[in-house]
Amino acid sequence: MKILVGIKRVVDYNVRVRVLNDGSGVDTDGVKMSVNPFDEIALEEALRIKEAGNAEEVIVVSAGGDECQQQLRTGLAMGADRAIQIQTSESLQPLSVARALLKIIEREQPGLVILGKQAIDGDNSQTGQMLAALWDRPQATFASKMVLNGDTATITREVDAGLETIEVDLPAVVTVDLRMNEPRFVKLPDIMKAKRKPLDVISLGDLGVSVDGNLKIHHFAPPPQRQKGIMVEDTAQLVQELKNRGLI
Amino acid sequence: MSDKTTTSFMRSLCMGRIEQDCLFPFPVLSADQKEMLHEIAGALEGLLGSRTEDFSQWDADGDMPAQFIEELKEFGMFGLIIPEEHGGMGLGNMAYSRTLQEVGRYDASVAVTIGAHSSIGMRGLLLFGTDEQKSRYMPKLASGEMIAAFCLTEPGAGSDAAAIKTTAVRKDGGWVLNGSKLWITNGGFAEFFTVFARTGTGDGQGKMTAFIVTKDMDGVSIGPHEDKMGLRASSTTSVLFDDVHVPGENVLGEEGLGFKAAMQILNSGRTGLGGGSVGGMKHLIELSTRQANERKTFGQPISSYGLIKEKVGQMVVDCYTSEAVVTMVGGLIDEGCEEYAVEAAISKVYATECLARSADEALQIAGGNGFMREYPYERIVRDCRINRIFEGTNEILRLFIALTAMNDVATQLKELSRSMKGVFNDPIKGFGVMSDYARKHAGLRIRRGDIGKMTGLDPSIQPQVDIFEKKTRNLAQAADRILRKHGKNIIGKQFATKRLADIMIDLFVMACTLSRVQASIDANGVEKASREIEILKVFTREARIRIKRNFRRIDNNEDELLKALAVDAFEAERYRWDTI
Repeated sequence: MKILVGIKRVVDYNVRVRVLNDGSGVDTDGVKMSVNPFDEIALEEALRIKEAGNAEEVIVVSAGGDECQQQLRTGLAMGADRAIQIQTSESLQPLSVARALLKIIEREQPGLVILGKQAIDGDNSQTGQMLAALWDRPQATFASKMVLNGDTATITREVDAGLETIEVDLPAVVTVDLRMNEPRFVKLPDIMKAKRKPLDVISLGDLGVSVDGNLKIHHFAPPPQRQKGIMVEDTAQLVQELKNRGLI
Repeated sequence: MSDKTTTSFMRSLCMGRIEQDCLFPFPVLSADQKEMLHEIAGALEGLLGSRTEDFSQWDADGDMPAQFIEELKEFGMFGLIIPEEHGGMGLGNMAYSRTLQEVGRYDASVAVTIGAHSSIGMRGLLLFGTDEQKSRYMPKLASGEMIAAFCLTEPGAGSDAAAIKTTAVRKDGGWVLNGSKLWITNGGFAEFFTVFARTGTGDGQGKMTAFIVTKDMDGVSIGPHEDKMGLRASSTTSVLFDDVHVPGENVLGEEGLGFKAAMQILNSGRTGLGGGSVGGMKHLIELSTRQANERKTFGQPISSYGLIKEKVGQMVVDCYTSEAVVTMVGGLIDEGCEEYAVEAAISKVYATECLARSADEALQIAGGNGFMREYPYERIVRDCRINRIFEGTNEILRLFIALTAMNDVATQLKELSRSMKGVFNDPIKGFGVMSDYARKHAGLRIRRGDIGKMTGLDPSIQPQVDIFEKKTRNLAQAADRILRKHGKNIIGKQFATKRLADIMIDLFVMACTLSRVQASIDANGVEKASREIEILKVFTREARIRIKRNFRRIDNNEDELLKALAVDAFEAERYRWDTI
């Protein structure tokens, strides 16, 4: 079985994000970029499945400019067997990414597609769901545990009410949550090995996918500064304060 | 255009010649190496990023757990400069320096453990080893199965390395080694030692040879772990050799050329220490800016006050210019330049002194907190103190910088006096030398000719170029004048030599910064490079004042008075003027 893992290049989670003065976007000039943390978890899960003998190949795929090769190389260094860059200079919306991934699925015929539940930049949480619909296969989102049993997978999902366990037929799209695993650290020899692994570049146009423009971003703004809190003595005062603010 | 591999920028500069091709364009890493460094940085963050508390604990303990050294090995940290075919990363000098910079951000003890292995411990093998020696040891050195140490210093031989007493005597086709080495970094767990020993009876440098000694040889023993001011988690011990039989094939490089080899190893390894220093400065800027934004006095964050801004602004200038110099030297080495000893020495002196200043100011910005062990500042101050002492003290390196850089001037003067002697026997030859010399000097005085010019730089930085050119002319005149005045006795004129060295350091830093800023203008335009141009302006202005003062004080000074006071104190061995 092949496993396909999606990887997005995002501003590193440690960076204090700054909105550009004209509100056209966030400042990425000289800012540290990384693999979306949820995608790292997705890749880690794929690698563990392969190491347990349940998959033969792990392929990482990313859509973006050549700079996203950096993140694909990180994926290869972690242990993926090969990488595919869907090359585009446009900033893609989830539907376009899902369409592009579907084309890769048609070429590669993976038995399982694992994605992060969302990217920490746009926080859309849409690509996995859209991809499953386009592909017409089952989806299991926000997964915190996955057990493969031949043609099916038992998946524990993190939902608002707690944990939900479902079984899906394979192939399927799984999007992973934070608690699924702890991704491994890359070592220097892995970086050397990754240099020799194949990284194929396919342009978005060659896949026959057009850039979708259904969503327009008007402007970016930093969140308003949080107001200073107050300490209350007891429940009665808490209730009173909430009332004063018209919150209850 | 001159040959970049055999031209030293600084030696030429002392002759009034600006070899612009040596330093322009500013060296950049290949896209491939850049990508690899990004990955290395990411991997290092995974290994070291979450260990801040451990580092502080290991500093207090004065020891690094063996388990962590195993982790470093497994991580591949000891293979940085070892060629790929021997199982390493094959990093060039610039990339290696940049990697140590990254390590230096997290912890200096870790950086020096790796640096002592790669910068000096096994660099002799890389530079002078035979193919057989390389394939015998490099795979083990890359995996960390063998960690390397550099054994030059002895109880009676530090700065005067040529005075070592360890001996190697021929026996049965091999050598028998006897002696003791002091303050050996990684001594506690090293398996591979690059050892320097006397192999001749006479005095002088020609009688030293380098050997590869391994821990498993009979008679090698290790002294106790030294209790140090800083870098406390790193291992420092003495290493003793008692009738150690070293096979003939373990001679490293040529017999008798050990001193030269030691100097070459140290020169080539300097960018490791330089890189570590730059990494330290970057870390300090992060700490200080955060501290200054958070700490409030009189209702304002202290970052709003002029005296804090002055400190942080200077830290930025120091970091940027140090990085320019260290990167430049790494680039020169990677390009195959062979004459970089002066430039490498400057990078060591400058970067270590900038780090010391930054560390001290960062502690000051933190105020009382800076003095508390709970905060990282005092440890950084302690850790970086050794940088100005080891791998050549900054005093010795200053003398080295000035005297080596003026070497060509001295040679020319010698030729001049020699040909003057023979001027009647061979007037034509004599005239040739004379006229070359006269032309150069006329050029220096009336600012004509293009030997002392920089061309093709952006007009926005032309004022700084002008200052550099003018001070270069002054340097050439001063070097010439001082050598004529003192001749060989220049060796004893340490006050004057130091001032010349300081001028040379400022000029080389200025040249490297010009190159770096020009590269930024080329890549992004003047507007985007405006901050960097400001850094250049600040540095050049300060350097110009220092240079001017140093020139003036070569002749006009209180050196003799100061010396007399010192002599008096040496005699008394105390302070004479107590008030009670």
